[in-house]
Amino acid sequence: MTTSHVQSICETARVIVTCGTGGVGKTSVAAALGVIAAQQGRRVVVITIDPARRLADAIGLHESLGNEPQKIEIDTPGELWVTMLDVHETFDNLVRSASPSPERAEEVMNNSFYRSLSRSLSGTRDYMAAERLHELYNDDRFDLVIVDTPPSRNALDFLESPERLARFLKHPIVRVLIAPGRGGLRFASAAITPVLKAISSVVGSDALTGVASFLRAFDGMENEFTRRALAVARTLRSQDTRFIVVTAPSPDALGEADHFVGELARLNIDLPLVIANRMPPRFGDSDSTEQFNMARNSTGDLATAHAILARLLVDAERADDGIEHFIDRTRLRFNAINVAHATEFPADIHDLDGISELAQQLAASR
Amino acid sequence: MELHHFFTRQRVLIVAGKGGVGKSAVAASLALSSARSGLRTLLVSLNNESIDVPDNEHLERVTVTPGRALTDYLSSKGMGLLSRQLSRSGIVELVATTAPGLDDLLVLGRIKAFEKEQRADVIIIDGPAAGHAIDFVRAPSQLKKAIPSGPIGQQADEVITMLTDESRCRVMIVTTPAMTPVMESSEIMHELSDTLGISLVPVVVNKCEYDISEVDLTVLDGPLRDAYSYAAKRLQAQHDALNALRESTDLSTLQLHRHQLDGADLVDSLCHEITQQIQELS
Repeated sequence: MTTSHVQSICETARVIVTCGTGGVGKTSVAAALGVIAAQQGRRVVVITIDPARRLADAIGLHESLGNEPQKIEIDTPGELWVTMLDVHETFDNLVRSASPSPERAEEVMNNSFYRSLSRSLSGTRDYMAAERLHELYNDDRFDLVIVDTPPSRNALDFLESPERLARFLKHPIVRVLIAPGRGGLRFASAAITPVLKAISSVVGSDALTGVASFLRAFDGMENEFTRRALAVARTLRSQDTRFIVVTAPSPDALGEADHFVGELARLNIDLPLVIANRMPPRFGDSDSTEQFNMARNSTGDLATAHAILARLLVDAERADDGIEHFIDRTRLRFNAINVAHATEFPADIHDLDGISELAQQLAASR
Repeated sequence: MELHHFFTRQRVLIVAGKGGVGKSAVAASLALSSARSGLRTLLVSLNNESIDVPDNEHLERVTVTPGRALTDYLSSKGMGLLSRQLSRSGIVELVATTAPGLDDLLVLGRIKAFEKEQRADVIIIDGPAAGHAIDFVRAPSQLKKAIPSGPIGQQADEVITMLTDESRCRVMIVTTPAMTPVMESSEIMHELSDTLGISLVPVVVNKCEYDISEVDLTVLDGPLRDAYSYAAKRLQAQHDALNALRESTDLSTLQLHRHQLDGADLVDSLCHEITQQIQELS
């Protein structure tokens, strides 16, 4: 038996990034890919960037996931670990390792702007996701890192966040805030002063002072930050990393999948595989028209059952059409694209058995 | 409940829900229902893709994005020059980085301005972006901590006042009848009402399957039997999820069916359903 597309990606990739909108079962798919790779004997860690409990729920874990990977009891030649991004902890670790002294690290971590930055800014989450991915990628315990991106439109922002940070740190205004010279901000260069004034009139001058003191404490660390940011960017753009778009067949999910395909094309990233998840199952080999006719021509329970089958077949037919059109559109950008299918389960997946069943379908789909 | 009462109990209704639950279609059908009842209705979209909605003379639609909200805000404060300067120097991104949550606050600020100038009888917000509901409404208080003074702090105060006044603003959560979205929604509802003090209206459970009648399985075989068992299992999962929802909240539910439609046809069908469901509320 030859290996399927899903199996070959699970066998060879060092990083797999799954992207897709909410409700398509992306987290379950990420966990199922982990199971497939563990069955192949690989040591896998699945990291979820979504703060919701989805990953823990999908594999039936009762305790919450943390930043430290947790090993799952599963009977495979390889290993399956799971973890959830903790933005705050990852940022603190990064500051500690980039800081020239422990005192300087403390100073940064006590800054009020830093604290609100590391807690609430979505851009920070993106950047820390990239940083954490890089740590796991370089962690000897794992052969493969599977990233379950957040279920939002801008899920791929984290790909650009290392470069964005590097750019931010080099920005002339940031340079002035870091090293304003003896006279403080008052003596900033003539070109920059009006812009600084403009910013402070919006955010208030207190805020700008807080930011400035953060950036000053941060001074000297930015080289290490930039170096790491660029290393992450290299990993994500290398052949080691494979991207997979996960979609469901509904029109809204496919519209979002189009968006992700466009984003990957814009970022010049190859897309080897689409997973069509939550496909309505097809019962028998008749079509909906035939079943509606049979419903009309029969009575009682039989009529009811034909009508139910007919409705399910309408779903299946629409789903097939939707996916087919989506793949046709996607081929215009990525002509070597492959598709794997998995059916919709009647209820949410909430344990390892469910994930294993999904894994089996994906591995067998060709 | 009388339709006008349902829609005018608050001036702003924020419709929130995770991706895949059909939030935009529900927000649109709600706006259409309000407009068809004769109320001047404004449907505010928070992103640039807009859903098709059947025309109605009382329905107006606008899109609010952080960039546009910032320009509007600065111009309203007599800082048109500054706003042009900011957008020319590409500095908006930097401002947003220095003040996390500023983009959300700008959008909420714009919504507050619509409310204040009484742009419509009913203002329905399609958004926030998927998975972002809590961050969105929490942005003002977060920002307030980081930047207590200045125009931002003042703006944050005014927005918080609007969000926590039930005669001005309430939130509608949209979910689907499956366990995971229901559990996530109930967490969000508790956070919104208990921690943030924001009032909620009944929960919309979208994409419900139609009930099926019981049949004698022994008369069925092959695909008929498989299809029936699948449909029955799916319906059971839906019942379980709805029960879990009822246990986790005292709010009533508005149940809408899954329609094999899209675009304006979908919004029209949902509008009929939601109108009837609202009228049946006690």
